[in-house]
Amino acid sequence: MGEVIVITSGKGGVGKTTTTANLGTGFALLGKKVVLVDADIGLRNLDVVMGLENRIVYDLVDVTEGNCRLKQALIRDKRYESLYLLPAAQTRDKNAVNPDQMKVLCSDLAEEFDYVIIDCPAGIEQGFKNAIAGADRAIIVTTPEVSAVRDADRIIGLLESEGKHDPKLVVNRIRPHMVKKGDMMNIDDIIEILAIDLLGIIPEDEYIVISTNRGEPAVVSPVALASIAYKNIVRRLLGENVPLMTIESNEGFFYKLKKVFGF
Amino acid sequence: MQEDVIFKGSKTGLQLLLSETADFGNIIQQLKEKLESATNFFSKGCIVKVPIANRVLTTEQQQQLTSLFADYGLKWKEVQDPSVSDEQPAAEPTPKPMIITKTLRGGQEIMYSGAVIIMGDVNPGAKVTAGGDIVISGACRGVAHAGAYGDEKATITAKRLIASQLRIADVIARSPDNLDDFIQPDYTETACIKDGAVVIEPAKQQYTFN
Repeated sequence: MGEVIVITSGKGGVGKTTTTANLGTGFALLGKKVVLVDADIGLRNLDVVMGLENRIVYDLVDVTEGNCRLKQALIRDKRYESLYLLPAAQTRDKNAVNPDQMKVLCSDLAEEFDYVIIDCPAGIEQGFKNAIAGADRAIIVTTPEVSAVRDADRIIGLLESEGKHDPKLVVNRIRPHMVKKGDMMNIDDIIEILAIDLLGIIPEDEYIVISTNRGEPAVVSPVALASIAYKNIVRRLLGENVPLMTIESNEGFFYKLKKVFGF
Repeated sequence: MQEDVIFKGSKTGLQLLLSETADFGNIIQQLKEKLESATNFFSKGCIVKVPIANRVLTTEQQQQLTSLFADYGLKWKEVQDPSVSDEQPAAEPTPKPMIITKTLRGGQEIMYSGAVIIMGDVNPGAKVTAGGDIVISGACRGVAHAGAYGDEKATITAKRLIASQLRIADVIARSPDNLDDFIQPDYTETACIKDGAVVIEPAKQQYTFN
């Protein structure tokens, strides 16, 4: 029986889809059997980020409505054999599915896969309720902005009221030099307000833009900063104790990072 | 404007509650306005009960009332109403404090008739409304409303009192726009009403948390 993880944030544009794609690919890199579920019905993106858009035949709504079997709707990744995608329907909306159907779907997928990673839509309405319904645990993605942190706080509260406690936090798009100058919220400020465990931090990295446009998750790159950060998160989710990336430094980020990795 | 005259409907008919303190001339004036504005509502011959516990009327005042009611085809009589005397605060038992053992997140709201104790933070966008005091063991960043039923002696205490808005009874205070310019004290603080305004001062010893 695998684990169902929902990636959520409340606010849009903080990197839920990017995080889903990278964590999923990261698990697959380590040989885990993973399925990514796009719960953003009507505004599907995960297939594009994964570069699998042209292979979609059936989608999540087809599965819940019984138009096809679950296996028929799963798309195997073009790079990794153990990575699959269940795409969202684009011609429908969030009300096409209900939380009970999602619960059944998630438990069916968890039978087959080690990890089921759900990309939650922005907002707190039906789409959010669907996405979290079948999840065993939640990862909250936020950026170092007051608005994103507010929304993350609201989401943590809503998850608690659904009985999903102890979510983990990923802080995305940190810009070390801005944090150093005091122009950006630092990690401690965010943790103090949200009061949940930090799973990892992802530095702002242009490579994310490049990889997203290419349809190839950044985690595939051996050198990109964001790639290393996502790999660290994957290892932490697997139970390894990986120290956080150091972001404050006087000698510059690259220098410090090189020191951390010992070359 | 505060209403000195209140009509209250109950199973036994209409009741007229008069303010204990207002000038009788004002009362008659307001009563006249009310009767005038709702002539259809008061059917002729209706008897309005006036609880005497509410306000003791002199003979002259009683006559004024009678003639005013008569103009609108109404009658009134004095009643001994137990429900009115029951509303004295002394008869009301104070509810036990409500204890919340988690952090209140944005969008979450607590409403309670007595005191509220929160073992955690109150985050931005969360709201606590209490009939009595509010005590928060962590940071108060949201909105806290103590003494919501008008108790001006109610207080709000938090280890870090940086609420976006504090309300006690019907007095409202908001945080300054340049909050960052203020040095955050590292001791527990209490907000209370002094001279009609909400003031924040160091908390008394018994509210200090570790």
